[in-house]
Amino acid sequence: MRRERSLIMAVIVVSLAVFAAARPADRPGVGKWKVVEVAVPANDSDEACLGRPIALALDADHLYIVDAQDGAVKIFSKDGEFLRAVGRKGRGPGELSFPSGVSVIGGRLYVADKFNYRVQAFDRAGKPCGGFSVPFAPDKAWALTGETLLVTSNPTGRPAAEKMLHIYDVGGRLRWEGLEARASSDPVFDAFRNMILVCPGEGGEFFVVFRSGERSILHFAGSGVLVGKIPVDERHAFQPIDLPFQGPNKRLLGFCWAAAWDRGFFYISAPALVEGKDLGPGRLLSVVSREGRLTASIELPCPVHRFVVEGGRIYAVDDDGGLRIFEVVR
Amino acid sequence: MKKLAVLVLAGLVLVSAALFFPTSLAAHDVNECFENHQDCRENALNLDAPWYKVMLILTVCDLALGKCALAL
Repeated sequence: MRRERSLIMAVIVVSLAVFAAARPADRPGVGKWKVVEVAVPANDSDEACLGRPIALALDADHLYIVDAQDGAVKIFSKDGEFLRAVGRKGRGPGELSFPSGVSVIGGRLYVADKFNYRVQAFDRAGKPCGGFSVPFAPDKAWALTGETLLVTSNPTGRPAAEKMLHIYDVGGRLRWEGLEARASSDPVFDAFRNMILVCPGEGGEFFVVFRSGERSILHFAGSGVLVGKIPVDERHAFQPIDLPFQGPNKRLLGFCWAAAWDRGFFYISAPALVEGKDLGPGRLLSVVSREGRLTASIELPCPVHRFVVEGGRIYAVDDDGGLRIFEVVR
Repeated sequence: MKKLAVLVLAGLVLVSAALFFPTSLAAHDVNECFENHQDCRENALNLDAPWYKVMLILTVCDLALGKCALAL
């Protein structure tokens, strides 16, 4: 009897030790996918350098990276070779003032031209070919179908019940607005709570991921109707951070630094601790099914700020603003 | 004599206030303050920096808005 008890105790102690020693990437029941880095050409020219890369998009042949500092969209081959830039700083046609998002529809590039309060279109040769004005500073622009664009905005905190999602047709007609911003008496805290990421799905549907505080992913139909909430597996853990907002410290639960969608899976990068007390971009990606189940973990060799995924490839921007390409090995 | 001095001083204050405020209000556009505030916030939110730093910059944006709106 005593021997059985000792045996049970030993098993418990060993299990606890194994559990405690497990690194975040070693989540029980979750596969670990490896990555192999693909060498990117040097891209030494001034035009090829990425000053402030803040959004990425893909089409069949190209990778598009928005450089807010240069006021341009830089076009690369899918092997990372710089091809050309579209747009330059300014306020006229073909010029951009703080571009912050890009999407490709039917061979046309649609750029969220933030401080010009418009979405500007370019053809394949980089010539401006229309676009439309919007009554807010557009943050990101996403192609939902060949006809419609989802444009996001950061709430200003001034008018009540501001909407963060806006669906336009390519002619600039507003089709739908939704997702009311969270508002309280603390505008800085609200700014964090309203940070969202959008992942366009298939057939016009799209998903909204809150970067903090919310573990669920919102699933919308292309018309803007909220289809449902996808609760994400708790093994993709929150990263808490205490920040001195108005009054005493408030706890912010960091859920996601960046996110992408590819072929039925979300790729969610968890924020990581920076210098022990701050939260910054992490190296760990969670692969989550559309039902919210954590399927696999990918540990990248460096923290990534933004990324897009296609097939087995991850195109990412690292801490130094450099383009990195990783091949996923399952 | 004292009364006269008080009346003159009060008159000067009123006249200077009347002269100062209309021009001051005309020169000071509060909408511009809000536009600058929004630009400041958008820059902070697109920094992609660690969150403590973003929080500090957003707070500075709010303080700058207050300062601008009060024309300090």
